[in-house]
Amino acid sequence: MTLPAFGPVVLALAAPVPAGAAMPAPIPQAADAPVRADLVASILSPIEDRPVIVTTQLPSHAPGDPLEKFNRAMFNGHQKFDRALLRPAALGYQHAVPKPVRSGIRNVLRNLTEPIVFLNDLLQLKPGRAIKTFGRFVFNSTLGLGGVLDIAKLPGLKLPHRPNGFGDTLGYYGVKPGPYLFLPFVGPTDLRDLLGGQADGLVLPLAVGDPFDRLEYQIPKGVVSGLDQRAEADQDLKALFGSAVDPYATLRSVYLQDRAGEIESLKGRKPKAGTSPLDTSLSDPLDDPLADPGGAPPAPHADAPPPSDAPELSDPLTDPAG
Amino acid sequence: MRVIPYAAAIVMVAGPAAAQASDPAARTVQSLDDALIATMKAGASAGMKGRMAKIGPAIDTAFDVPLMTRLAIGPSWTSIGATDQQALVAAFRRMTIAQYADNFDGFSGQSFVIQPNVETRGGDKLVRTTLKDPKGDDVAIAYRLRPSGGGWKIIDVFYKNSISQIATRRSDFAAILQKGGAKALIAHLNALAAKAGG
Repeated sequence: MTLPAFGPVVLALAAPVPAGAAMPAPIPQAADAPVRADLVASILSPIEDRPVIVTTQLPSHAPGDPLEKFNRAMFNGHQKFDRALLRPAALGYQHAVPKPVRSGIRNVLRNLTEPIVFLNDLLQLKPGRAIKTFGRFVFNSTLGLGGVLDIAKLPGLKLPHRPNGFGDTLGYYGVKPGPYLFLPFVGPTDLRDLLGGQADGLVLPLAVGDPFDRLEYQIPKGVVSGLDQRAEADQDLKALFGSAVDPYATLRSVYLQDRAGEIESLKGRKPKAGTSPLDTSLSDPLDDPLADPGGAPPAPHADAPPPSDAPELSDPLTDPAG
Repeated sequence: MRVIPYAAAIVMVAGPAAAQASDPAARTVQSLDDALIATMKAGASAGMKGRMAKIGPAIDTAFDVPLMTRLAIGPSWTSIGATDQQALVAAFRRMTIAQYADNFDGFSGQSFVIQPNVETRGGDKLVRTTLKDPKGDDVAIAYRLRPSGGGWKIIDVFYKNSISQIATRRSDFAAILQKGGAKALIAHLNALAAKAGG
């Protein structure tokens, strides 16, 4: 395996859990929704032969996951589907279709999401960002041969893809994630992002119509992008789930933290101390159990700063998903 | 309103590579990053054991493994017996080393850039780094460090500036702890390490 893909993640999560790389994707994707590469990971989970923790006996659900019993059933079902069908098909696709063709298709589909990104840039009152998204779409749609080539991200233009969608916009304006969900063909999501993803998927069919509103387009697009995303995420997923004691809970935690970080990032003005998601999330003291009354002697420097007013989701030690 | 693009923000945060980190917390991170590069360069020819031999001592030096274990377990730590506590720390360490050695098994030009400006978080320090990959996207990785034994040790790792390793682990461990207790978690962690070849 090569480090490029998931090394970073691994690093981040301490060797083991390559979260981000594999599941960055915020917005859930409906069958007809624009495909986001980062989503992929979400959709397709792992494939490893590992015992799945039975959770039905747990007396309660984790915080932020009131539908945990349902979600775990969906997750376990998806894992079986992945092992039996999805992963083999995805790796077959990767093997049979040359790399330039696969990346060309991926670029075209991603380019088709740029109008949605643009719309949400505007809804978040970010005209500068919207102009860049527009420029990226124009360059790639013309010089990039209809989106086949992502020339906008090259050093000369420096207009990389920056995902944005209605789920982000809702979060930007303060809508909370709601219950966490794991759904077949959608992957990890939450109520806010699920609804946002549905709205994303309606943009092109409503605004453009043919062919985007036709099943003859949507089904093949969904199949090809699903296989491609699953194949591309394979290494990351292996690393993420390969180091997890409880893959379901690990994926949930990573998804919720990642989304909270992305929303905070949208709200942030500058990466200045005290305003970036990293700063706010780290301003809360670590909750060392040894510092508990009655516990062992406190850890060094357990005298922590006053609690921050950061949103609960951004507190790294108050895992939203428990 | 002006929003600095994420990529640009990372670049700003990353700053120029410091030839020799001056802050003691940054030096801790530097030592880890150096060992990771060495482990990657050792690559497949070193084998799993060879890479573990390279990264293991660096992890013991750079990380406060016992504290990270306690933080990942959470408040129930105090109700776990001393023997199981020791076994948990040992299993957490073993799994961490095995996973690093398993994942950092090849080198293709990657480098780490450590931001020279170390930030303060209460009694802790925050060191931001960027993993530069010539064949992929840059990745922001931040470390939270706490004083330990006269130096600074890593107690949490943040991927993309938002995903905390400790928070993820606490979620990962919660169900098995609740259901099977410390012994079940110890067995699972050791099984994961063994599966990775460690």
